[in-house]
Amino acid sequence: MQTVPIARYFRKIYTNIATHIYDRPPRTLAFLIIIMLSILPYSGMDLIKLEILISANLIAILAASWDLLVGRTGQISLGHALFFGLGAYTTALFIKYLGWPFWITIPISVIVGAGVALTIGIPCLRLKGPYLALVTMAFPLALQGFLYYYRDIFGGETGIGLPKIFPGLRFFDRIVANYYLSLALLVLSSIIIYKIATSKTGIIFISILDDEIGAKACAINTTKYKLMSLAISGLFGSLAGAFYGHIVSGSANPRLFVDTTALMPMEFSLIPIIAAVLGGVGTIYGPIVGVYIYQILYRYILRDVITFNIFGYIVTVDRHMQLFIFISFIVLLIVKWPRGVARAIVEKLEDLEEPRELEEILKEKTESKQM
Amino acid sequence: MYVLEVKNLTKSFGGLVAVNNVSFQVDEGEIVGIIGPNGAGKTTLFNLITGFLKPDFGKVLLKGEDITGLPPYKIANKGLVRTFQIVRPFRHLPTIANVLVSLQSYRGRRRIEWIKTPERKAMEMLEDVGLSDMALEPAENLSHGDLKRLEIARAMALEPEIVLLDEPFGGLNPVETEYMVKSIQRMHLDGHTMVIVEHKLHALMKLVKRVLVMHNGEIIAEGTPKEIAKNKKVIEVYLGKVV
Repeated sequence: MQTVPIARYFRKIYTNIATHIYDRPPRTLAFLIIIMLSILPYSGMDLIKLEILISANLIAILAASWDLLVGRTGQISLGHALFFGLGAYTTALFIKYLGWPFWITIPISVIVGAGVALTIGIPCLRLKGPYLALVTMAFPLALQGFLYYYRDIFGGETGIGLPKIFPGLRFFDRIVANYYLSLALLVLSSIIIYKIATSKTGIIFISILDDEIGAKACAINTTKYKLMSLAISGLFGSLAGAFYGHIVSGSANPRLFVDTTALMPMEFSLIPIIAAVLGGVGTIYGPIVGVYIYQILYRYILRDVITFNIFGYIVTVDRHMQLFIFISFIVLLIVKWPRGVARAIVEKLEDLEEPRELEEILKEKTESKQM
Repeated sequence: MYVLEVKNLTKSFGGLVAVNNVSFQVDEGEIVGIIGPNGAGKTTLFNLITGFLKPDFGKVLLKGEDITGLPPYKIANKGLVRTFQIVRPFRHLPTIANVLVSLQSYRGRRRIEWIKTPERKAMEMLEDVGLSDMALEPAENLSHGDLKRLEIARAMALEPEIVLLDEPFGGLNPVETEYMVKSIQRMHLDGHTMVIVEHKLHALMKLVKRVLVMHNGEIIAEGTPKEIAKNKKVIEVYLGKVV
């Protein structure tokens, strides 16, 4: 078994995938990874470390939704934390002031996320490129001030506490349950986002990314599709935020928008961008892989102070130095694979696959339509 | 009724009057050529007609319906479709998907079979312009000549009432130009109405029966290609005054 190269093994399971028209993913590979992730809690690993993956799963939804808007539609957002924080705050407000159960408040926060996306999209999507980027960056920053001003309602810096989703379970059981919940959410949302991105609507998104004027000349109402992309993106962003509040942070607090005390002040706006560039912008699966790389490196490797003993010299590396090393490492990865780590892997696999004839694909499509 | 009727169209940028009081009509099934030296306002005229620019004054009627000032996608949905002088392909998409974008529009989904299998219809459009071999190739790998043909396939996929072609022969070599002329002739035989802006007069004169000459934003002459070639004003504009 060891003599068989991994690539050749994948080739077998990969042959009957992909119509080139809509850019299909290597499904089997994704399926294998999902199975691997779902047996992870029973692999004997330290369950505390699963919390890293829980937050990675939820942030990956945010990153995938960012990629649909930016990588696929070309509308740059530097403030996706807006939807993340919004999701958490909406569910928190409904639970605190109306006492509704979380399974009602989460759909509400998803709708609020999409609604806010549409509301800010109508004036903002007239802007293009760097101007749009600056405006979107301002929203979470501005909202943080708003939250501090109405301290009584929004709880100021500490925010509003959120109940746990599985209150009955014991500590480790709860971690495993949360892990499966977050994994299920990630799989479901990324499948939906990927389906949208590779649908016929998805190719219109790409046409807007490539040439908006050309798309208009093709009789496409580009404003409508840009808003649609932003709304879908906001919807999944706030879904991720609402669950992040319940599961990971335990409260809806201003740090979800802008964290002025952390090493990285605009964490939830920046992670999707770093992850997307790391994994491959515009691939949807790329940012998910990117978030995993980021989270595992950032949360697992970064400690408070690491001391080395090199030939008798004691070297201490504090968090700031670790961040520097960490970012340098990410930059190296990006320089090595400028189009993304995940995309590089998938393209390697695609090279192995023999391209199918278009006739064959068309025939298959018409047959499935008739059935 | 005329397919396209332009009445007193005027547009100025600051002090410069780019299009000045231009009026013309296009009949069903006709090919009209618009020529003129650089900066004559031909592309601006196209932008005004197709809604990419709002005119200061004047009207555009498509089959008697006023379409002045509508957004470009609405005008295209009504059947007035254009191509661009500088090609505007969707570079990340395969060639066939470039055509599929047109077929996802309101106009591209008029018929049930276009909705059911748009790929088949897109493939037919590519075959018409001779690009079917490149169907799955990303548009960024296509040559300039191929992209020009792709622009036409994309426009024709909307089954337009009238097509405005902005320099369809721009940057093409003689062989490609010949091929393009034949494609346009075939489209004309199918009954399509067209307006062509072009610099390559030799290729254009083969196609059209009526030519408008623009200079400094105004139409200075109109007639058959032969009449235009002899027109003193036109020769003056292109070659300068005899002192």
